[in-house]
Amino acid sequence: MDKKRKRRRRLDKGLVCSYAVLVIFLIFSLFPIYWMLNTSLKSDTEIYEKIPTFVPREIKFDAYRRLLFETSFPRALTNSIILATVVSLVTIFFCMLAAYAITRTKIRGRSAMSRGVLYTYLLPRTMLFIPLYILAVKMGINNSLFGLGLIYPTFTIPYAMWMLIAYFKTVPVEVEEAALVDGCGPWRLMFRVFFPLVIPGIVSTLIFCFTLCWNEYLYSVIMINDSLYKTFPTMLSELIVDDVFAWAPLMAGSLISCIPILILYSVSSRNLTSGFTAGSVKG
Amino acid sequence: MMNKKSYQISDRRKITYHKIFPYLLIAPVFLYVLVFLVFPFLYGIGISLTDKKIGGEASFIGIQNYLTLLQDKKFVKSIMNTLEYTVISVGLKVILGMAMALVLNSRIRGRTLARGLLLIPWAVPTTVSIYVWKWMFSDAGGVLNAMLTQTGIVSHKIAWLSTPLMAMVSIVIVNVWRGAPFIGISVLSGLQTISSDLYESATVDGAGAVAKFIYVTLPSIKNVLMLATLVTTIWTFNDFEIIWLLTKGGPLNSTQVISTYSYQAGILQMDFGKAVAASVMFLPIIIILVNIVTGYTLKKEE
Repeated sequence: MDKKRKRRRRLDKGLVCSYAVLVIFLIFSLFPIYWMLNTSLKSDTEIYEKIPTFVPREIKFDAYRRLLFETSFPRALTNSIILATVVSLVTIFFCMLAAYAITRTKIRGRSAMSRGVLYTYLLPRTMLFIPLYILAVKMGINNSLFGLGLIYPTFTIPYAMWMLIAYFKTVPVEVEEAALVDGCGPWRLMFRVFFPLVIPGIVSTLIFCFTLCWNEYLYSVIMINDSLYKTFPTMLSELIVDDVFAWAPLMAGSLISCIPILILYSVSSRNLTSGFTAGSVKG
Repeated sequence: MMNKKSYQISDRRKITYHKIFPYLLIAPVFLYVLVFLVFPFLYGIGISLTDKKIGGEASFIGIQNYLTLLQDKKFVKSIMNTLEYTVISVGLKVILGMAMALVLNSRIRGRTLARGLLLIPWAVPTTVSIYVWKWMFSDAGGVLNAMLTQTGIVSHKIAWLSTPLMAMVSIVIVNVWRGAPFIGISVLSGLQTISSDLYESATVDGAGAVAKFIYVTLPSIKNVLMLATLVTTIWTFNDFEIIWLLTKGGPLNSTQVISTYSYQAGILQMDFGKAVAASVMFLPIIIILVNIVTGYTLKKEE
């Protein structure tokens, strides 16, 4: 009896500790997000008060109005949506085929290719951005969305290949063997039998590819001069001009651009890192 | 008889088709990688051996760029800063990430919700998180200084981004804020594979909480922790946005890192050879790190 109670008390102590640490983590993680919302709803005069107000005294949508009607933000957001959607869809389609070839067929050099995927994934962008810039200028595709769309797969493909190979390997081969015996052709086998089995993995890889394009800053800032083709990360950075900061519209734009990502993540947060770490967890 | 023969022909066709089928599947990705990754990579190494500038003709100058760089005090400083930034940030991210994972794996209520909320800093666009922190660090109207002076923790405003020491502290804070959840979620996935039997038998053997952590928890998450740490190290080493958008490498080059140095030399001064050489120089380190990563991830294939 006594022992049991003692144990429970100790457990509770640990639990209290966990809650305390959790609260600290939550404040550290979420305060900046809250501050973004807070600032975006304030008037300029309230923003620069000596003691910042933790709840806006008066909720104003002025920042949103300015952002949406007086800047090129809507255009930049549209560019980002188009670019991220097209690049991630095209990436995922071709990577599904390639990852299938590497994990499910007797193609030569499979292990070399798996290794190559990792190298390309972790290859520093700082090494690639200048050659890619020169290449884009020579091809005449810099300063266009098409050019960015051609460059973005340099980071989405290695990522998607890595994730998809990891997912595809977790599916047992028995199902396909059964289908083969039934006289199923290779395309049919792949599209009708295999891909439906790995839909969750494909969806979360697609979401993350979208996020990678959505967040991209370096290539966009190098390649694009014309404000017609800017994506939102570069467009927003131009709201910070010298010492004049348009904080409220900047925070409003930041918040708006988080929304698609947060929706996508809440749909599929569980799978996001599992493919990534699958190998080492099971090892 | 006829029937049998036609069967054989179609079979043979099928076999050759089966042989080229995988190559058909891989061809688009393979070609893309050749043109946009392998070629630029080799081209980059080539450029680093020339004095290529914008528009001008490039002539071969051997390893001259590398020698010039190593004599450049600003570059040497940026190497030291990169190491400092990487080691401190990764260290903090591992410690906080582990703590995060342990908390999320304990028997608290609302774990799923907490997990989702703690992942937010990692999910929001990098640039967005940088703007928010830049605003919170700001001298005029910045909330961090207001909170610190009001609660009496500091008597004077902290010049977050404009003094050398605090600029480094600031970029580390933002990097840790963004990156800790990744380690946290990775380690959590490792923790969830540990069976409770292990802990129970450890308890029977009289192991305390610390002993359990060292002898049961750590060995079980060793692989996933190593992998997440290595990948994070590579990412942090190559980080560009956080530094560029917060401090532009300043003040007085106190936060100048290899990536910002390379960007300034290449895009702003158009000295392509020097800029690429600055990143190629660290390729051996990256390759060693990637080799260790492949060791961990491809192990399962044995």
